[in-house]
Order: sequence, then C-alpha cells, then structure tokens
Amino acid sequence: MSGLRDRMNRLRGEASAKDTPPVQNLSAVEEPAMEIAESERLSPDWEEIGVKLHVHEIGSFLIRKTVYQADHYHGLHALGELDAASAGLASFHPGAPNGAASERILFLDLETTGLGVGAGNVPFMIGIGYVKNGQYVIEQTIIRHPAEERAMLAYLTEKLTDFEYLATYNGKTFDWPLVQSRLIMNGLGRNIWEPKHLDFLHPARSIWRNTLASCRLSHVEEERLGIRREDDVPGSLAPQLYFQFLADGNPAPLEGVFRHNETDMLSLACLAIRFGHLLNGTISSYIPLPEEPEELVRTGIWLEKMGRYELTGNLYHLAENSEAAKPSTLLMLAARDKKAGNWNRAVLLWQKAVLRSNQHFGASALEASIELAMYYEHKLKDYGAALAYASTAFEHIQQSSRLTRLDSKKRSELDALRNRMARLNRKREKQLL
Amino acid sequence: MNRFTGKTSGLAEWLEYLKADPEIMNNVTHWRTIPPREAMAVPLPDGLHPAWKEALHSRGISELYTHQAAAYRAAREGNHVVAVTPTASGKTLCYNLPVMQSLLENEEGRALYLFPTKALAQDQVAELQALADLMDAGIKTHTYDGDTPPTVRTAIRNAGHIVVTNPDMLHSAILPHHTKWVKLFENIKFIVIDEVHAYRGVFGSHVANVIRRLKRICRFYGSKPQFICASATIDNPREHAERLIGEKVALVDNNGAPMGEKHFVFYNPPVVNKQLGIRRSSVLETRKLAAMLLKQGVQTIVFARSRVRVELLLTYLQELNRDKVNDKTIRGYRGGYLPKLRREIERGLRSGEIRGVVSTNALELGIDIGQLQACVLNGYPGTIASTWQQSGRAGRRQESSVTFMVASSNPLDQYMIQNPDFFFNRPPERALIHPDNLLVLIDHVKCAAYELPFEQGEQFGSEPLEDMMEFLVEEKVLHRAGGRWYWMEQSFPAHNISLRTAAQENFVIIDLTNGSRVLGEVDRFGAPTLIHEEAIYLHEGVQYQVEKLDYPEKKAYVREVSVDYYTDANLAVELKVLHVDKERESGEIVRQYGELTVNAKPTIFKKIKLRTHENIGSGPIHLPEEELHTSGYWFSFSEEAAARKSKNEMQFALLGIANVLVHIAPLYLMCDPFDIRVVPQVKAVHTQKPTIYFYDRYPGGIGLSERLFEVHDELLQQAKSHIRSCSCLSGCPACVGPIEEVGLLGKQQALELLKEAEGVR
Repeated sequence: MSGLRDRMNRLRGEASAKDTPPVQNLSAVEEPAMEIAESERLSPDWEEIGVKLHVHEIGSFLIRKTVYQADHYHGLHALGELDAASAGLASFHPGAPNGAASERILFLDLETTGLGVGAGNVPFMIGIGYVKNGQYVIEQTIIRHPAEERAMLAYLTEKLTDFEYLATYNGKTFDWPLVQSRLIMNGLGRNIWEPKHLDFLHPARSIWRNTLASCRLSHVEEERLGIRREDDVPGSLAPQLYFQFLADGNPAPLEGVFRHNETDMLSLACLAIRFGHLLNGTISSYIPLPEEPEELVRTGIWLEKMGRYELTGNLYHLAENSEAAKPSTLLMLAARDKKAGNWNRAVLLWQKAVLRSNQHFGASALEASIELAMYYEHKLKDYGAALAYASTAFEHIQQSSRLTRLDSKKRSELDALRNRMARLNRKREKQLL
Repeated sequence: MNRFTGKTSGLAEWLEYLKADPEIMNNVTHWRTIPPREAMAVPLPDGLHPAWKEALHSRGISELYTHQAAAYRAAREGNHVVAVTPTASGKTLCYNLPVMQSLLENEEGRALYLFPTKALAQDQVAELQALADLMDAGIKTHTYDGDTPPTVRTAIRNAGHIVVTNPDMLHSAILPHHTKWVKLFENIKFIVIDEVHAYRGVFGSHVANVIRRLKRICRFYGSKPQFICASATIDNPREHAERLIGEKVALVDNNGAPMGEKHFVFYNPPVVNKQLGIRRSSVLETRKLAAMLLKQGVQTIVFARSRVRVELLLTYLQELNRDKVNDKTIRGYRGGYLPKLRREIERGLRSGEIRGVVSTNALELGIDIGQLQACVLNGYPGTIASTWQQSGRAGRRQESSVTFMVASSNPLDQYMIQNPDFFFNRPPERALIHPDNLLVLIDHVKCAAYELPFEQGEQFGSEPLEDMMEFLVEEKVLHRAGGRWYWMEQSFPAHNISLRTAAQENFVIIDLTNGSRVLGEVDRFGAPTLIHEEAIYLHEGVQYQVEKLDYPEKKAYVREVSVDYYTDANLAVELKVLHVDKERESGEIVRQYGELTVNAKPTIFKKIKLRTHENIGSGPIHLPEEELHTSGYWFSFSEEAAARKSKNEMQFALLGIANVLVHIAPLYLMCDPFDIRVVPQVKAVHTQKPTIYFYDRYPGGIGLSERLFEVHDELLQQAKSHIRSCSCLSGCPACVGPIEEVGLLGKQQALELLKEAEGVR
C-alpha cells in the first residue's frame, strides 16, 4: 500500500511528497470502536448534547428531539402564531382543496457534506420540524458514519407522508432534490411523496432583494425577524466539523451544528408565520408594517402575485406618500399601476419621479419622462405636452452624454426619442390643421 | 484546356495536363491511381421495422453496404461491435440501424451517443432527428452539452431516447448527477462511441476510465448496454476498442462503400543545395500546388501540421485573391479559432462558398464539411491513419479526386516519400491507451467514489481496490464504513479533473492592438515554445508579437506587427532514472524500460526569415522549469564503443541517431509528435555510457515508450536503412540533421555506431 502512496508522490512531483504528513490511518483505528458503539449504549458525550440512539429495523442512527411551547418567542414572533398564519400559506398553491393547516406542514433543512446536488453530497444531518398538539417539535437526525444514512432516510420517508406541505429555504432546488437523489442512491424508491412546496427563498427575494444586503437566511432573520444568533457556527463550517468527527469520533463540536440547524428550523417557522400573516392581511396586528417604501411596494407586488390583490391598497398608499420613496420605487409602483390600468396614480408617480430627480436627472427620471410622453400622446392625444416631456428627456441625455462616450444602448435611446419627437411634431401639426 | 484562361474542364483533364508538365513531374516520386471501387451491397435485413424501412427508402436507401449489414447483424446478435470504415462510407448507419430498430421495438429503450467534440455531436443530432421524424414514432434525439439551455435539460433527462454528448460532459455533468438520469440509465440499451481512434494517448486513457464509471452506474441501475463503436482505419481497432470499453468486441471491417477514382501523388520539393541536402521549402511547394488547384476552381483542403504553418499558408494563399475586396473564399481552420468562426467556415465549405481551406488536423475528424475534390498535405501528417483520414476529405463517390503529399525535409517525411510501398502496404498505426496510468486511474476512482460508494470486492482498473481505497482514506477524501468506502469531502472531484490535459490549462491570447480582445488560445504544451515573450504569433494570417507572457495567469498579450520572420524555440532537458522495470540486450546494446523524471526548460528562440527560412537572429526565453515524472525507454552503447570514438564524435553520432529516431518512432505509434521525446547523452548519469532516451510526455506515461522498447530492433533497423539510403553526402535535415548540427562526419559516425552495435565492425 505504501508502494502506491510512494508512486503517487513521485508522479505528483517531489514537492507534494514533502508536504504529505506521516502516514496515519485514522479511520482504521476508529472504525471498530464505532461498530461496537452501534450495538451498545451511546457514549455520554452524545447524551450531553441531547442526542439519543434510534434503532430502526434496517439500522440505527441518532436523533436529537427538541420541543417548543406555543408561547416561545423566537425573535418577533411566537411559535403559536403558526396556527393562525398557516391558513394564508395556502395561497402558495391556489386551487389546493383545503387550507394549509399547520399540522400539515413539514419544515426541512439539511446539513450536507458538500455543495450542489451531485451524487456524492451526503446530508449527514436532517432537521425536520412540525406542529403537534400545539407544540413545535424539532427532530434532528444525524449519522455516525455514511452507512447509517439508509436507516435515517427510511425514518424520514415514514414521516413524510403525514404531511402535505414542505417548508424550506431554497428547498425546491436544493434540499428536496437532494433528498430524492439520496433515496434513489439508497434504493428507497423515487417519487414517494410529492410535496406542495413552501420555499420561502422566493418571497424573500421578491420582497427584500434591494432592501437587504443579502437574502441569506441568517441575514434575513436578523434584519426582519428580530433574531440574533449567539456564537453561531456558520453553515459553511458544518462539513468540516462533521469530517473532524468522522476522524476522531468526538461528538462535542457537533453541538454547534445542531444549534445552527435548530435555529434554522425555528427561523423557518417564523418565516412561515411572517408570510402567512402577510397573506392573511393580518400582519399589522402582530408587527408594524415595514418603513422602507421599496419594501412596501415589493410586498404589495408579491401579494398580488399570490392572488391577494385586496391587501395591497394601504401598502401602496404608504409608499406613494412617503417622502423617502426613491424615484426607482415610484417607477416600480407606476409600472404596476400602468399594468392595472390605474392611470391617475401612475401619472402622479411619474411626475413625482421627475420632480425628485431635479438634482440629478438619472435613469429613473428619463424613464418617467418617456412614460409621460407616451401617456400624453396615446391616452390624452395631447401632443404638445407629450413633446415637452420627450424633449426634456432628449436634452438630458444629450447633456449627460457630452461627458462620456455614448454606448450603443444610449445611442438607440436617443434615436428612439428623436423618432418620437418627429412623430409628435407631425401629429401636432396635423391636429392644428 | 482553355488557351487563354488556362482553365481545364475538370479535375480529370487537369491531372492529364499535369502529368505532361516536367516541372511538376520531376518532383513527383510516386503517382498512385487507386481505381474506383464498386459498391458491395446486400438487401436490407429481414425483420426491419416497417417504419424504419420506409424511412430508409425515402432517403433512397434500399440496400446496405456489406459493412453496414455486418454491423447490424453483429449488434442484433448481442455483441459489442467495432466497425472500421474510411471517411464517407456511410458509417453512421452502422450504429443507427440497430439503435433505431431497437427503439422502434421498445419505446422505453434509450441510447447514449458519444462524440469526441461538441461540433460532431451537434452535426449528428440534426441528421438523426431528421431520420427519426420520418418515422413518426416520437423518437426524440437531443444533444446534451455545455450549450444546452437549462430549461430543456430536465426534459432531455426524462424523455430523450437518444442523448448525444461528449466524454467531457459525461464525466463532469451526467455521471456525477446520475440520479437525475434514472430513466436513461435504467433503460439504456446502446452506447455508441464514434471516432474511437480519437480516444488515444492521455485523452483516451481518461475516456476509458469514464467508460468504466459509466458501466458502473449502469450496473447500479440494473442495465447492461451494448457498445457500438466506429473507428477510422487503424492497426488495432479491435484491441483498442476492447481496452477502451473493457469488453470483448466483434470486429466489422468489410467496407462495401463505393469510391471514385483516387490519385495519390507523392511530391518531394527539389533539392536546392545538394551539398547540404537542403530542399525547397515544403510550404512554398504546397502553396504552388494549392494555388494551381484553386485557380482551376477545384475546391481544395490544405492540411498543415502546425498552427504556424496553417497561418503561413493561409497568408500565402490569400494573396491569390488580394485584388478582391474582403474576399472570404479562402479560410484558415484550427483549434485556436473560436467556435462561432469555426461553424461559419464549416457551413461555407458545405455550401461551396468557401473554395479553399487551410487546416490543422482539427478537420480530420468527421465534422461535416461535405466532400471536397482535392487535398494537399503539407508534410506527412505523422501517421498513416491520419494521412488516410485527411486524404479522405477529398473524394466523392462518383468523381475522381486527388491528394498531394508534399514532403518536408524532416526525416520521417523523406522516408515516406522515398518508400511509397511502406506507406501503401503497411497497416496504419496502433492506437495506444493506458487506462491504468496511476494518476489517471486515481483521478477517476475519486469521481467514481463520488458517484457511488465502492464496495469490497469491486474492481476498478488493474490496481487492487483496497490499496487505492486506503490511499484515498489517508488523503481524507474517502471514509470507510460497513465494508464500503464513501466520498466524504466537500469538493466535486470531476471539476478538478480534465480529460484533455491541455484543455483546462489553455493560455488565452489577448490582442492589445485596439483596446483588448481575446484572439485565441494555446494549450500548455504549446505555450513555452509558441507564445514566449518576443515570439511572433500568427492568427488568421496576421502577425502578432508577444509583448508579455503572464505565466501564472496564463495570459499572453500580443500586438499586431508586420515583420519578415517567424520564431522557433528550443527546449533544454535533464533526465534522472528512478526505476528499471525491464531490461534486454541485443548485440552490444542494452536497453531498459522504466520510470524517470525529466526537467525541461525552454532556452532560446530563433528568428527565421519568411520564404528563405534562414536564421536571422535569436534571443533567450525566461520561463520556469517544468518537472515531469513519466515512463521511458533508453538504450546504451558499450564502453568499448564509447572508447572507439572521441567524445565529440560520439556526441555527433548520438545526436544524428536521435534526430532520425524522433521522426521514425511515430511509425510505430499513433501519437502526436509532442507526446514523445528523444534525448541523447554521451555519458548518461544512469548508465555511465552513451545513451539515447525516449520518454512519454505525460506524468506516469501512456504506453508509448513501452511499445518502442518492444520494437527496438526493428526501430534501429529502420533508422539505419533510412540514413544509408538518404541521398545526401554527409548529413542533411532529412536524415541525421544538417551538418551545422552534427558535424561534417555526422552521418558516417551515426552509421558506424549503429553497425558496431550489431557486432559488425
């Protein structure tokens, strides 16, 4: 065997041979110990972090179970709010026969040995959460070595069918496909359960894309759910800690991973509560509405996407009248109004956008001017006013472009404006005759 | 012929006219006319699905060539098959016939097609889907490669009956995500591997391992697909295919396709300096012949061995049309061009808009450019197999075609041009792969472990599985539990492993003439000699000088220049033998095969004047040394032999022999000339004797020097007879090398040494 190592070192060049640590076969030493551990009682190190042995008919693995009472506050929300909030979550799947009763939702978050959904990425810890008897139950399963995965997955599959919804953060593209892939790899069948996804990454992105620096769960929960993690082990470190455990068999450092995953599970529940309240239209009885005008508008647009048009009036009203609204936010709302045929407010918003851009006639002001020119031309047939807006926009582009070279986009914008002005002039003359 | 324009009515008439032209014929050493061949056809086989039969009929196919029928029969009997066919012989039907038939019989069935390049795959799908559509059976054919949009990937995974891809994609995208391909792997009936001869050397060794992984995944899903391979003519198609797929195969090689009359003309440029044995430049002679053809309106392909030659010839030939503005009828084609440009050129060739193309062997593979009428080879392409492939680009079923092979002064070319029988009678080279090269093997064992845990008792390659597993456990990428080894590492191994060693480490060439734009790329092996600082780099016939080579970042910055020279670089090499595996003696020569390390460093470059090709200056190259651990073969002469010559004489003799051997060795190998190196040493550290070393230019070796060790005696015989039969007086570039390099007596010294070694004094 050392022959093979020597040959490899030579092929790789002398340098790597020196870097290689002395040969030590950790797993060979540890492995017997593990096999014994499987049949015997778990070492006290595990019990210290609340982990128990679970013996399944096809093998064993470990579980850490934590139960939270309904009145437990995790940040701004109490877990008990889930009952009321869950009704709204049905909007994620319009046409679903019954609402999303909180007992029908399974929360899921995996900790894996790598990135992506390739066949070699193993979920060494599966966190699931669900509501039972008014309590929020978190079960975290972990495997002491990869051969235990099959039993852990079998346990999961038995749980799944009790639920209808799967609540995750990016689970539609990561956690769930990975579970499916693992089931195939372990010969546990495929398509055994077709969940209705509640993937909260999507609404989080729709609403907070610009108002938050990042839509990572840890950032979203801190900024919007009032959750502070103490001594959190970042998820990106989890694989390293697990490999370390595989090498030395000491579970203590895994406690951090358990806590991290547990917090994720709690935050998932709070996101369900947040989005549920929003969809129920009851948010303001729990927490104040957001202050950022852009967030207000984006929340409204998301609610409309989810079919809850009736809930947006107040949000838009607040945004429209906010002094802090940026021109780009006004434009976003105006575009929504234009689509909905609400021309009065759209015109008002465009005008505001131009006014607010007095200091610096930027892209938003330009867009607003063009929108106004179109509105006056096509809706009101007021070619004089339309021409005024078009020429303002034209002058501004020309002015700003004196400093820099025109790129092709700017050039085509200018051409389009020139055409528009020529057409407006023709129409106006015709009207006058 | 038209007296005023010089134009003839067609190729046949022009060739007659050419035969009467002494200026040309004096340089023609051999003119072989290969008579047209009638088709050998048999009726369509019984039991063919009616829809399939009808589709073939509508394509005008009512009978099969013998090789197509044989391939069909062999496949239907359940064999793995390799079909050997020359260019344009209806090769694709050899595999499409059984595959389509099987898909029509069982619509759940699936097939996977592998082509060495994306371009070939895309060509194929167009043709296949057109066939499938004729049958109205809902058979879906898709390419799956880097260009496939993410939106359709899911549909292809589930519903594609025939998935057409390349080994790289299989390696890095399909196998590591096999759980998304359940439908394919559970139902896969056929794996088609076209152009198997292209999978040789390091690339082939990697691909053989990808196929091991593929078979492993198929086993997991309970399927056992049949392989159908197609190959160009090589010496060992069956052995090669068997090594590549690791299964016994049935060989089909009864080609029944018709062929028009084919003229094969060996052309040796005239000697301009008899004393020094210097001939006129093959580039200039190639230009002359190609220009004659193009002026006749004959669509012509010119093959040149290096990028530099391609660009030189392109520049020369484009001068033909310099009075036409923006003329695009004569184009270049080579690896460094970007894909979009290449597709445009392929289209132009098919439509006939492009009348002439100058290419490296990039156009040797089955990329569809239609059939041209004439082919001019600038220099012997290096292997008999390549020569036939390239020549096959010219040749239509009805009309006659012509191939000119213009010899350069290098010894292999001179050998071929003077021994036409060697070329026409000898089987083409053997394709060699070494799938058990430890570095390659371990790379793929990692990928395989990522895809599926290894179980005790499994076999992957020749190394004991337990050894490899233990090694990878120590490397902390695998974890052993319950009799299995699991991948336990964060990385995705396939991403760090490229099947084409060069591909991953390409140097990008950036043109700074106007702002900065990417001009092309050069692989790592080429970089030290092609784009060192001050090198002249040619692209699409334009000269650029390298201003800065950023070696760590793999970027070369160039600027357009106009100079009357090109550059050529030298490499210094140091050798250390680590281990001797085999040893044999013949005569006074002891030869050994084993492992060695090589330290190589580029030293200087020469400036060589265009057209006259004289040396007009030189400069140093400052690049880091590269170390290589590989396998090699070397032979040493006795101490007595050493004592009979002065050190200087011995130096010249060895250098002379090495110069011949480096060119003769490829006769026995199917490899890129870059893949093997020859180094002479007057007193080698290892043997303390005059020694000539050969080594494989890939870590761990790929079986080239091992093969040379086996054919050593024949190799030296060939070298001797080549030196003896060369017409020069005392050494020339076509045999032992020019006298500036090997001295006035170099030729004599080399011959003496070889004769003495046989015990003839």
